[in-house]
Amino acid sequence: MTGLAQKASSAPPFAKEIVFDEVSKFYGEVLGVNRVSLRIPGGITSLVGPNGSGKTTLMNLMTGLVHPDRGSITVGGLSPREPEKLMRILGYATQYDAAPRGATGFEFVSAPLFLHGHSAAEARRLAWQALERVSLTDAAGRKVAGYSKGMRQRVRLAQAIAHDPEILVLDEPLNGLDPLVRAETIALFREFAARGRHVILSSHVLQEVDVISDQVILIANGMVIAEGQIRNVRDEIQEHPSQFMIRCRDASRLASLLFEMEHVAEVKLHPDRQGMLVLTRNRQEFSLALTKLAANGSPVESVMAADENVDALYEYLIGGGR
Amino acid sequence: MNPEHVFRMRQAWMIAKLELRRVFLAKRSLWVYLLALFPVLIFTGHGIDVKLDQKRWSGRITPATVLESIQRGDSEEDVIRRAGDPVSSRRFRIGRDRRGQILSYYDGQRRYDVFIEDALVTNKRARAHVDFEEDRQIFAGFFHYFYLRLAIFFGCLGIFMNLFRGEMMDKTLHFWFLAPVRRDVLLAGKYMAGLVAAVTIFTTGAVLCFLVLLWPQDQAAVQAYWQQQGPSHLFWYGATAALACLGYGSVFLAAGLLVRNPIIPATVLSLWEGINGFLPDLLQKMSVLYYVESLAPVPAPMDPNVPALLRILLAPAAPVSAWAATAGLLAVTAVVLWLASRRVGRLEINYSTE
Repeated sequence: MTGLAQKASSAPPFAKEIVFDEVSKFYGEVLGVNRVSLRIPGGITSLVGPNGSGKTTLMNLMTGLVHPDRGSITVGGLSPREPEKLMRILGYATQYDAAPRGATGFEFVSAPLFLHGHSAAEARRLAWQALERVSLTDAAGRKVAGYSKGMRQRVRLAQAIAHDPEILVLDEPLNGLDPLVRAETIALFREFAARGRHVILSSHVLQEVDVISDQVILIANGMVIAEGQIRNVRDEIQEHPSQFMIRCRDASRLASLLFEMEHVAEVKLHPDRQGMLVLTRNRQEFSLALTKLAANGSPVESVMAADENVDALYEYLIGGGR
Repeated sequence: MNPEHVFRMRQAWMIAKLELRRVFLAKRSLWVYLLALFPVLIFTGHGIDVKLDQKRWSGRITPATVLESIQRGDSEEDVIRRAGDPVSSRRFRIGRDRRGQILSYYDGQRRYDVFIEDALVTNKRARAHVDFEEDRQIFAGFFHYFYLRLAIFFGCLGIFMNLFRGEMMDKTLHFWFLAPVRRDVLLAGKYMAGLVAAVTIFTTGAVLCFLVLLWPQDQAAVQAYWQQQGPSHLFWYGATAALACLGYGSVFLAAGLLVRNPIIPATVLSLWEGINGFLPDLLQKMSVLYYVESLAPVPAPMDPNVPALLRILLAPAAPVSAWAATAGLLAVTAVVLWLASRRVGRLEINYSTE
């Protein structure tokens, strides 16, 4: 695996990294993340993985909403167990949809600013500024409970950026946004990163974030399976051998045809001679070749990915986004 | 004082202010208001009844000397001839065939019930129309058995358990955990909000009920009372209610951090408080009721016919001085809050398991 690349931006990066050292988290017997070691530099970093892969757990761990069972985490040199210090430099827009009962958008954004120690006037000014950044000033006086999904997404973002944090953590921040607001939001992330700050966001659709990310962390089943600059990660996954189980009537003939192909590394015939396990280094080429063989009369009954995690991630990388 | 501590105190107060509206106006607080105001309703009803009787009977006052002259054996006809028509009369049955009657008269302060059987006076009973001493005893009973053991107990359960548990259920606790505030400061702020709400609701309820109690009483008796123990009683009833909120509030705040089901702490604590009288000295001191019972200005009245076991359950443990009780209660509260602050430091956001 490649190490995470330093931010490519010309602005000086935020000096301190986010460091996960052998971090594991279990929810009872359910695995959250397992032995994760990461160093996340400044810039835009995307955590990508299917639902339930551990993205939110990683974000909750770095913000202190949950604590690791094993390992240690530092965020800009601070422990997540020190919210009074950490939350001064960090803003987190969670995926949790609810706001305190009865709170208006303005109150939702301004209340934490009072706890930062800002005067009432300053808190109001900063809250208003943040709401302007997400184009939500018109609805600021309405209760958050009555907001649409997209508006709630934006008000959470406004709250996260209101105190101008060094580190911005955003859980699925583009969900529910219309194209115009999405473009504005992405511009906001870029502006943050250009000032040498961390923007860490999660998504289950790689296509959605790969164009804006400086680096990507791919997660599946609570484990980091690839990390680094987006180009490197794409290559890494492309080169990662994938296994397929093929069921067919004339397995020996099909096996010999497949084995002649350059990208096929290994073929194991099933003992019943009605199937085989194929290891390929290039799924796209394999897929095309198999389609061609089937069209030419090879009796293929079924094709199944034998390694589901890699399969899922592969699909994400090439834009399938299951 | 260290500026950092001052800032933390300001943060705690800020949290309390932000929380107050939610605590006071929450729909789930409605029954807390009902609990607090129930005795006020009862005593208001009693006061209105007394006042209406006084108004209705004021035009039909019979001189006390006439009423005093009625003797056993006087005929009904003779009684009505001397005392006039009664303010009320009620018939009652004696055995299968015989009937009796009660004629009630009013001399402006006392009510006389004259019992008639077979057209002859068989008995006579005089009592103050409104008995201040008796009403104060009834209030003391209400305060000990209803207000402290039921209303404040369950009111605090509703207010304080929801400070964290309610936010967990609403999935909004992360809002506070993502603020630049130490968890123990957050706990202090939320506790303050609960305390301000509980003390306001229950102390107001107790004081209001006490004042309503005085309303229909004889004004001279009330004046005399105000010049003697009245102000002290009023203060200690209010203070006892406030300190009960302080103690029960801390316990239920801590319970809300540990368990999701409020029935569990309510059952455990009410059992613990209930068996307090059976416990050794040291364990008795680990109870909120032990201290607040000692603080109430009038001890709980106890009917001499109450069975021994129930008497032990209802009777407070040996009372301690007001200052010792206050200090003890503050110590218990401090220990419970310290344990709660340890727990809140380890608390995680995991809504999916809620």
